Amino acid sequence: MTSIERIGNILRRKPVDRIGVFEHFWGDTHKKWSSEGHLPEGVPLEDHFGFDLQLCWPFNLVGKLDFQPETIEETEETILQRDGNGAVLRRHKLHDSTPEHVDFLVKDRAGWEEHVKPFLTPDRRRINFEAYREAKKLAAEKQRFFCWSGVGVFECMHPVCGHQEMLMAMLTDPGWVKDMVNTYAQLTADLMEILFAEEGWPDGIWFYEDMGLKGRPFISLDMYREFIQPGHRTPIAICAANGLPVIMHSCGYVEPLVPGMMESGVDCLQVIEVKAGMDLLRLHADYGDRLSFIGGMDVRVLYTNDRAAIERELAGKIPEVKRHYGYVLHSDHSIPDQVEYESYRYFVERGLELGTY
Amino acid sequence: MADLLEQIAVCIERGKVNANSSYPPDMKGQEGADELVKKALADGIAPDDVLSKGLVVGMGRVGQKFSENKVFVPDLLMAAKAMSAGMAHLKPYFESGQAHHKGVFVIGTVQGDLHDIGKNLVAMVVEGGGWKVIDLGVDVSPEKFLSAVQENPGAAVGLSALLTTTMVNMEKTVKLVKETVPGTKVIVGGAPLTAEFANKIGADGYSPDPQGAIAFLSA
Repeated sequence: MTSIERIGNILRRKPVDRIGVFEHFWGDTHKKWSSEGHLPEGVPLEDHFGFDLQLCWPFNLVGKLDFQPETIEETEETILQRDGNGAVLRRHKLHDSTPEHVDFLVKDRAGWEEHVKPFLTPDRRRINFEAYREAKKLAAEKQRFFCWSGVGVFECMHPVCGHQEMLMAMLTDPGWVKDMVNTYAQLTADLMEILFAEEGWPDGIWFYEDMGLKGRPFISLDMYREFIQPGHRTPIAICAANGLPVIMHSCGYVEPLVPGMMESGVDCLQVIEVKAGMDLLRLHADYGDRLSFIGGMDVRVLYTNDRAAIERELAGKIPEVKRHYGYVLHSDHSIPDQVEYESYRYFVERGLELGTY
Repeated sequence: MADLLEQIAVCIERGKVNANSSYPPDMKGQEGADELVKKALADGIAPDDVLSKGLVVGMGRVGQKFSENKVFVPDLLMAAKAMSAGMAHLKPYFESGQAHHKGVFVIGTVQGDLHDIGKNLVAMVVEGGGWKVIDLGVDVSPEKFLSAVQENPGAAVGLSALLTTTMVNMEKTVKLVKETVPGTKVIVGGAPLTAEFANKIGADGYSPDPQGAIAFLSA
């Protein structure tokens, strides 16, 4: 089977030759493995490890497109900048990480309506047509399953006003949150229509949403249904109408939200963060006949670099989760540089061996 | 007196900040933590009672519900906002020594890590539990934690980390603080952590949620 056929079937839980394989890495990991001579120069990780998926993130949903990020403070390790949403964020320069939310121009509905909402129009400049075209072409050449990827509405809102204001507003000004959700959902849908009409449809859709903390989601299932679900349904409806399966990423413990996500039309859940309390085997037992999974392999086991422990992790999960054909091998977040190249190589090879039908 | 303190507790539990706040809808138009704490102090209720029998009781209730997944982050944030409105009136009493914190809790996200949501939630709940919280922010060096402990003798320390890559800095901080100021209690928390890891690096406690931090500090 080609990767396109394999992942297409996995997302629909139809028979395949083996489970899929895909991964996310910290930037430092690639650098370390390259410096150790494990990765041939110029060979992407997708090719090196034979990944089945390829993603492209072509949309820019920042408020003011023409705003040049303004650097407020810079140290050897961090940079503090105001962005086109009016948010002041501190980012780490040495590794990929969620930025620190320092301040926001938007603190309420009036701020949103003045500083961000009027600028969120389906401007063609929000779409990187060329990147999408090139990634789509490359994926086709390699026969990899090609996904449009981007952020969902939850991840659109908090960079504008911060998690705390966004979450409190769900109680104090629900109409504002619903307006933000609707605005971002419609913008995403409009941009998708433009891009896909001109450049062709991808094989699937991958939304990033981080809706969980350790041991609990930020919001209840009822709040998900009231606030977030309408924003998921709008773009997913376009995908569903065109037969595209939808993958939803979420860090943190989001198990209570899974029924709501499935109602929204999500076909596959990624990344199933074990350290936050997510349990791949339990999820598979509860939803495996209706939902596919990517991830759920405890990365803490990988960075022990202990093959016996990695074997236990793989052998304890893959034989079960390969049932229903809906599984793609992936860590439960991303691979840090504590994981030795040989450990990861073993993880992929042994995982696919166990995952062959 | 008991009625007024219970009303304050209910305001914290329900996230009723002041008379102008429209949340929660069923308490619209009623006085909130802001007005009721002011009234309690004006009525001569001891500041320590306002704190321990009103504010802390309310925060304890919402913290417990949060631990049990009966309420979620938005509810906890609103409770903390109401708590903050009430605590503002107690500030002069803390400064004059007429009101007393249960202790001092120094908290921060360890060096290399910029995540703050979990740390902020713990800080809010611990403050609502009656402790003076010194929030050092994110990306905090071991030396900065140590300075805060030295400036606040007897303070307990809370270390947060979300990244597996920054957990190593947690160990460095625990080691420096405990070697320099023996007897300092240190609790750790964050997505990648476990009680086993906490034990391994020499921390005194681990909690997956804010209420666990309260239990640790109260022990």
